[in-house]
Amino acid sequence: MQPLLHLENISKRYGAVRVLEGIDITVAGNEFLTILGPSGSGKTTILRIIGGFESIDGGRLMFEGRDLAAVPINRRPFNTVFQDYALFHHMTVAENVGYGLKVRGRPRAEIATRVAEVMETVGLAAFGGRYPAQLSGGQRQRVALARAIICEPRLILLDEPLSALDVELRAQMQRFLKSLQRRLGIAFVFITHDQEEAIALSDRIIVVNGGRIEQEGAPEQLYRRPHTPFTAAFLGENNLIAGTLAAVDGPLCAVDTPAGRLAATVDGPAPPTGSAVLVAVRPEHVRLDAAPMPGEGLTADVADVRFLGANVMIELRHAALPGALLKVRRLADGSAAGLVAGQRVGLSWSAGDAALLRAGPAPAAL
Amino acid sequence: METATARPWPDLLRAGLVHALNLGLPLLFVVVPILSFVAVSFWTLEEGQILLIPTLANYRAFFTEGSYLAVYLQTIALSLQVTAVNLALATAIALFIFRRTPRVRFLILMSFMLPLFMSYIIKIYSIRSILGQRGLLNEAMMALGLIDQPIEALLFSRTAIFIALAVLYLPYAILPIYLALDRIPANYLAAAADLGATPGQMLRDVVLPLGRPGMAAGAVFTFILTFGDFVTPQMVGGIQGFTFGRIVFSQFGLALNWPLGSALAVILLATTLLAVALAGLLLRREHVR
Repeated sequence: MQPLLHLENISKRYGAVRVLEGIDITVAGNEFLTILGPSGSGKTTILRIIGGFESIDGGRLMFEGRDLAAVPINRRPFNTVFQDYALFHHMTVAENVGYGLKVRGRPRAEIATRVAEVMETVGLAAFGGRYPAQLSGGQRQRVALARAIICEPRLILLDEPLSALDVELRAQMQRFLKSLQRRLGIAFVFITHDQEEAIALSDRIIVVNGGRIEQEGAPEQLYRRPHTPFTAAFLGENNLIAGTLAAVDGPLCAVDTPAGRLAATVDGPAPPTGSAVLVAVRPEHVRLDAAPMPGEGLTADVADVRFLGANVMIELRHAALPGALLKVRRLADGSAAGLVAGQRVGLSWSAGDAALLRAGPAPAAL
Repeated sequence: METATARPWPDLLRAGLVHALNLGLPLLFVVVPILSFVAVSFWTLEEGQILLIPTLANYRAFFTEGSYLAVYLQTIALSLQVTAVNLALATAIALFIFRRTPRVRFLILMSFMLPLFMSYIIKIYSIRSILGQRGLLNEAMMALGLIDQPIEALLFSRTAIFIALAVLYLPYAILPIYLALDRIPANYLAAAADLGATPGQMLRDVVLPLGRPGMAAGAVFTFILTFGDFVTPQMVGGIQGFTFGRIVFSQFGLALNWPLGSALAVILLATTLLAVALAGLLLRREHVR
């Protein structure tokens, strides 16, 4: 099936600085796609290229098989929700929302009807007469959404729209965004640096770093099976232990590390034995035994036990892994109560929970 | 329980001093001088002597005697014309600068502001040399064969005053308009385009409405400066250039009638204040972010 939008091998440079390289993204007609990356990763540039605010130096931008290169911003069939909303402060909320129809020369009565409908959709039916300055952050956010959906675009671009909201409102807006996307049945391309937000909202996530795509997939797939050290460190927390690949048996791998031989699972074809790899284990997947069992997993010394509300994070040191803190997450149900700093414990995990990664350049987020 | 502690007196002294300066300086340097000529405008002149006898004769003279009222109205018409032309020109120029890339904006703006750094005398004589009988304009038109004889009316005419005032005060209109445009958030333009607005619609719906406070300020500056100018009309207008500013000036100089001069000056001040108030009224509906 032809994708709604296809970014084909797009590159972009600012002078001598390469900001995007080999970006290839497809967007399906009704998916919630998130482009996730740290600041400076190029994610906003990707959005600006789709919107038409930036030119491209290589590749093509195709919409339903049609090249958008010659289509100016105001003729592109998408609308954008800007990071700071960009609501016109000299227009009322209703004028802001109706602006897209006004510039298309629709009759006044039709505009009024549609504005009322869309304002109802975003739950701001009574606010049409106000000015943006008289609204709260969350309300402005909804106005920006209403303004973007009124022309019934095939795709909406959202540039970190929740970053200015406080935690509680953010969670509420996340639910609203997701349900709105389902109701409208159109594609959302959402930009964020917040991995939790990306996981909570998206059908599919594309992780970008340094102007390149690191990995893409469904949130759960990315979380469970990161392919690169960057993805492993950027999506949630991971214990990363460096070593050499010793043996491969199907997806199961044995890795020699300074802390001993560890088991891990590889996704796809394994690298040749002898290559430098990383073992990535989520803190919540590590089993912790007060009495270390010989020959299984590794032993480590408790460095600190931190209470995090619902969870307890236990930080440990291993003599052969200097400078690295191993992390184990436990529910704060009292099971970690007996642990004290300096205590030696055993750590183990099932091979299925440990991901084998090719060791790349040191990930920036570590 | 402790009662509210009194502030130590050095603090009070400092606060008092600050208030005194805030209110006192404008009072001393602006309000008092104005009040002094307002007071003089109600005094009587008899045989060259100013007498402290209150009278409305000076104001009556404005409405009844000579050509004061006529010149006043002509000057208002002239100033409004200059204001209208300069508002259009300055808006066009400010928009031109606004459309450039940020790097060259400042350079272009500064080149338009350059006349502000030059002496008034140099500017006036430049204008005279351009408009004069053997000036640049006449010579050029003759060289092009557009005219056989130099046009005398270019200098020492109402047109000459009009052109000179427009040229002199154009930078004062460009600057506030440009500054207003410069304050428009870049993503407003992006949002307007994103919603489907053509460049023309963007100008109509976003750029010009948000530039309006600057346009009002530019118009007020131009009107006040042209209305009060008494040197330019004399330098390029000759005997034709009898404007209200020159009448006020002559009452303090040649005619030595300070009370009448003061009364006319009060009328001039009231007119400019009215212009400011009108501009304020037009902008009252603006919504500040």
